[in-house]
Amino acid sequence: MTWADFRLERYGRIVKPGAVLLLLTVLALWRVDANVADLASGITKGVSIFRLFLPPAWSAFPSMIQPALVTVLLALTATPIGAACALAFGLAAARNVAPPWLRASARTAMAFERGLPEIVILLILVAAFGLGPFAGIIALVIGSVGMLGKLVGDAIEEIDPGTVDSVACVGATHAQMIRFVVLPEILPALLANMMFRFEVNIRASVLLGAVGAGGIGYELTLAMNQLEYGKATVAAFVSFVLVFVSERASNLIRSRVLAGDRLA
Amino acid sequence: MSDATAIPNAVLPSVSFRRRAAAVAAAITCLAASLAFMKANPLDFFRDFHYVANLVGEMLPPNLALLWRKKSILPSLGETISMAFLGTLGGAAVAMVLALAAARNTSPHPLVRGSVQTMLAAERCTPNLVILLVLLTAVGIGPFAATLSLLVGSIGMFGKLFANAIEQVDAGPVDAIAAGGASRLQVIRYAVLPQVAPSIVANIFFAFDVNLRAAVALGVFGGGGIGFELNVARSVLRYKDMLACLILVIVMITVMERVGDFFRRRLFRLEAVLE
Repeated sequence: MTWADFRLERYGRIVKPGAVLLLLTVLALWRVDANVADLASGITKGVSIFRLFLPPAWSAFPSMIQPALVTVLLALTATPIGAACALAFGLAAARNVAPPWLRASARTAMAFERGLPEIVILLILVAAFGLGPFAGIIALVIGSVGMLGKLVGDAIEEIDPGTVDSVACVGATHAQMIRFVVLPEILPALLANMMFRFEVNIRASVLLGAVGAGGIGYELTLAMNQLEYGKATVAAFVSFVLVFVSERASNLIRSRVLAGDRLA
Repeated sequence: MSDATAIPNAVLPSVSFRRRAAAVAAAITCLAASLAFMKANPLDFFRDFHYVANLVGEMLPPNLALLWRKKSILPSLGETISMAFLGTLGGAAVAMVLALAAARNTSPHPLVRGSVQTMLAAERCTPNLVILLVLLTAVGIGPFAATLSLLVGSIGMFGKLFANAIEQVDAGPVDAIAAGGASRLQVIRYAVLPQVAPSIVANIFFAFDVNLRAAVALGVFGGGGIGFELNVARSVLRYKDMLACLILVIVMITVMERVGDFFRRRLFRLEAVLE
């Protein structure tokens, strides 16, 4: 192998985009005040700080169980509620179920919602409902609706019109059609995406905890702010385990759901 | 068992109905129990709804004049975008190297493969918040820490996706080039890279969208950018400014999605070059 393989002349057409990319990178580096000295001192500082985090203060572990449970329950309650809301929004956003004006408004609302990070939604909700898991649940529910609702809406629109026609043909009402055609068709996809969303929500609920939803994220920031780094390590470890287990569980259930969909 | 008092099966709901009803009942019970455990009363949503109405009243009209009155707002948007851009690009670059080490067909040694894969899995499971908090103490508050944490946070996902793409590469070209006496690096350059480039590019663009939202979120924790401005406006109770920031966030994300689409289309025309 010689470096001739990577000679610039071979790549005449990517010189311009490459230059644009480089320019953007330099611009962005300048914008975020990145400098090598900072990074170097940061790394040495980081190594010395790393020693602060060890050894973990395992004595704090029992006091972390309850916050961890809150974090899990936050995601566990918000996900099904979010999925239920998403089902309603998805029906409203599907061309073959809802009238055009409803579809347009539901799609716009969900697009707006997807544009907002959960944390921003939570900041508003905390201002309205005060601190606590309740604002966190609502933030996660709202956060789930945007993504799941769009997926449900798209899934409904992809339903084979033949199935819809054959049920309509024997005199099914609108509600019956939703019950016997739409629901069975989209339920496996909805459940699989719900599992995925659960995973996302666990991560989000750790993050939300830090801005006042309670749970393990709150313990983590609290420990960091009080400079109790050993305790922070334990909290970080607990949140790591939560994410790990939820990922495994969600993968397991998802593969089961997608394999044998004898639901509905 | 012919019990005279037993209810005949014909009037009972079907077995599947009963099973489903039991499942629904169990789910509702669990939901109610966990709400009770967290002391979250769903009725609060309606009882306290006037707070939301008040807040909305206080937020309206948005103080859009902030955009030219406050000098730091417009640069902060650039800061957030830069954070996401650098985090995505840097993360992709690091992940590409790791993915080559983690993919079965390009890995130098099974031991390397196993350790890199474990590392990537561990990284994927570490919440972004943990990474940011550690980096904030190391590098100090500011957009640079947030950039680094986005970079580190992207590696796990990218690494896994890239490694999967590399493993699914068609073996034909790889064998053909290796048979011609190419070195390992040449095989990667001429057989593997051209095949994985489209999926890598698509993933980078998708990750940029995700990281842009994450950059706003990290800003709230002291990462700088528009998220920081938004949180400042909130904590000093200037809700009109907050709504203005919020609108800016939505506009920024929508515009950047369009910009991303534009570049993606340009780039797909270029992809043939790498072959």
